[in-house]
Amino acid sequence: MTMALSPSSPESPAGASRGKALAAAAIRLGALATFAAIMAYFALTARGFATPFNIVNVIEQSAILGILAFGMSVVIIGGGSEVQTGGIDLSLAANAGLCAAVFATATNAGLPAPMAIAATLGTGMLVGAVNGFAVVGLGILPLLATLASMNIVAGIELTLTENTVLSTSSPLLSVLSSGRFLGISALAWVLIAASVIVGLVIHRTPVGLRLYAVGGHPEAARAAGLNVGLHVWGTYVFAGLCAGLAAILIVSRLSASTPGTGELLLSILAAALLGTVFSRRFVPTVGGTVLSVIFIGFLANGFQLLHLSSYWVSGVQGALILLVVAVTSYARPQEH
Amino acid sequence: MSLSLSRHLPKDRESFSTLAVLVAFVGLFLVFATQADAFLTLGNLRNVLVNNVVLLAIVALGVTFVVSSGGIDLSVGVSVDMASLVFVSALAAGVAAPLGLAAGLGAALLVGLLNAILIARLKISPFLATLGVLFIGQSVQRLATGGGQPIYLVTKDYAEIFNAISRSSLLGVPTPVWVLILCVLATWLALHRMGFGRQVQAIGARPGVAWYSGIRVPSRLTQVYILAAVLAGITGILLSATVRSYVPMSGNAFLLDAIGATFIGTTISRERRPSILGTLLGVALLAMVKNGLLLIGWNFYWQQVGIGVLVFAVLALSFGLQRRH
Repeated sequence: MTMALSPSSPESPAGASRGKALAAAAIRLGALATFAAIMAYFALTARGFATPFNIVNVIEQSAILGILAFGMSVVIIGGGSEVQTGGIDLSLAANAGLCAAVFATATNAGLPAPMAIAATLGTGMLVGAVNGFAVVGLGILPLLATLASMNIVAGIELTLTENTVLSTSSPLLSVLSSGRFLGISALAWVLIAASVIVGLVIHRTPVGLRLYAVGGHPEAARAAGLNVGLHVWGTYVFAGLCAGLAAILIVSRLSASTPGTGELLLSILAAALLGTVFSRRFVPTVGGTVLSVIFIGFLANGFQLLHLSSYWVSGVQGALILLVVAVTSYARPQEH
Repeated sequence: MSLSLSRHLPKDRESFSTLAVLVAFVGLFLVFATQADAFLTLGNLRNVLVNNVVLLAIVALGVTFVVSSGGIDLSVGVSVDMASLVFVSALAAGVAAPLGLAAGLGAALLVGLLNAILIARLKISPFLATLGVLFIGQSVQRLATGGGQPIYLVTKDYAEIFNAISRSSLLGVPTPVWVLILCVLATWLALHRMGFGRQVQAIGARPGVAWYSGIRVPSRLTQVYILAAVLAGITGILLSATVRSYVPMSGNAFLLDAIGATFIGTTISRERRPSILGTLLGVALLAMVKNGLLLIGWNFYWQQVGIGVLVFAVLALSFGLQRRH
């Protein structure tokens, strides 16, 4: 492959696999300890951080990012975690923006809620299917294919909304935005339910196992009789479904679709990539993604409570990604 | 569509894809020339060349080196922005223009150096390294501008400096075009006529073999990422002189276009490799389509869709043929 986007020199000789495994365990513990230390720091210095109200609030705020990060994680699981040639969906946030615009437009046009939901999820899955076709059918690198589709989708969203806020309201949206059950809001329940369902499917069913096989060793998976292309395609359609679901949550939270949803992309990538540090083989897991989504949520929340500028947040996320990747690249098990 | 056609023209797929891109180019040119009266006027062509082609082409030349080395640079927009931020801030603080210009390019160089350390020394994959730098660059810009306020220098005091950069001309050719010509010559020599370029391409094609054949991979990669950042910095300076301001995060607009132009360029090369001339063709195609869509009355949003579809089609052609190879 002339376009093999891989860096520099060959791998160092294998052999210290035992040391590597120990290092990997140390990194997992270190990541959890860092997570706990930052939480403890906020709890001690930021007033109101460790209150149940604030914690539930952060989980609510994390619902949208969490759903989108599940989509990204599944794409990375099925496409392989080699970020340059493996699975990635850069169009995910823009797709959620388009779906939100579709949902707001459909609701405002007087469509009944089930129809509006179907149109929204359908739009998301259609974009996902196109991405899947580009990656599986046409063989375009996911990074490049979804970079192009990100621009197409963002352009379509802008034509639909003319770069304005589309306000909307419906009984369903009020239930989602202010409904409560057992003292926990609907948005938080959606995140909890999604985590459980996606977690069970990915980690407790043959489908999940096959996805890891397809992503980890496509050739071996093909030799074992798996339809690799179909699985990879499925991950992009699933990511599109997540974009549609997240879009409904976005509209319910803001009572509108707003331009600029695409900016969520960086946080989604941060969540999915940071989550890999919590797994033994540094691949995405549902638990790891949930942990890092909540971590990112608490990070932004803690900054806010400490009256630190929110402009720091993306920089801190970037630095964390670099730190995680630099550290894990030393401990990644040899695959050659 | 083009893909199924290619099955009927099996003799020479490489020349088919070159032909397809050229036919698309000429076809679109004819469509715009007949549909938009203003398209073929000298004023319009000059405007497209100075305002669209030059800025994008210089960024894309740097991306061509990065892609040749087997990497990718998502942070070129940050280099554009940092050069613009430092240049404009320096002028606003009363620093002499040449010094401000040097400081702007220095800021871009630092972005490249950071990328280089992450990629060549710490062995972080280019995608993640430059993604991290993109995050950090956005934070830095927000912090420096109180959340994203542009810095306008529209008073007369600065007009002279900005005009000297963006509106002057030498021998009837606008200065920005001279800058582009120099950049093209330098990068063409470096990539296609010097050992440096051969080594960079070897790293891109076979990193392991390049390493074993004694190429100093880390220092070559360091040079590549610094070169890409400095070229993007030149665009940042030209951009701020053209719009007489620094607008935060405006560099990101170049990212897809520069990558798209580079990959359009690979479709016309026999070995599917990035090349300086191919990239220039890609830039010309994108700039022409943008300008043409504008002139036939598509709004900015549909232009974005149009460009995305075009890049998508070219990627499909490029990768589809490569895989069938």
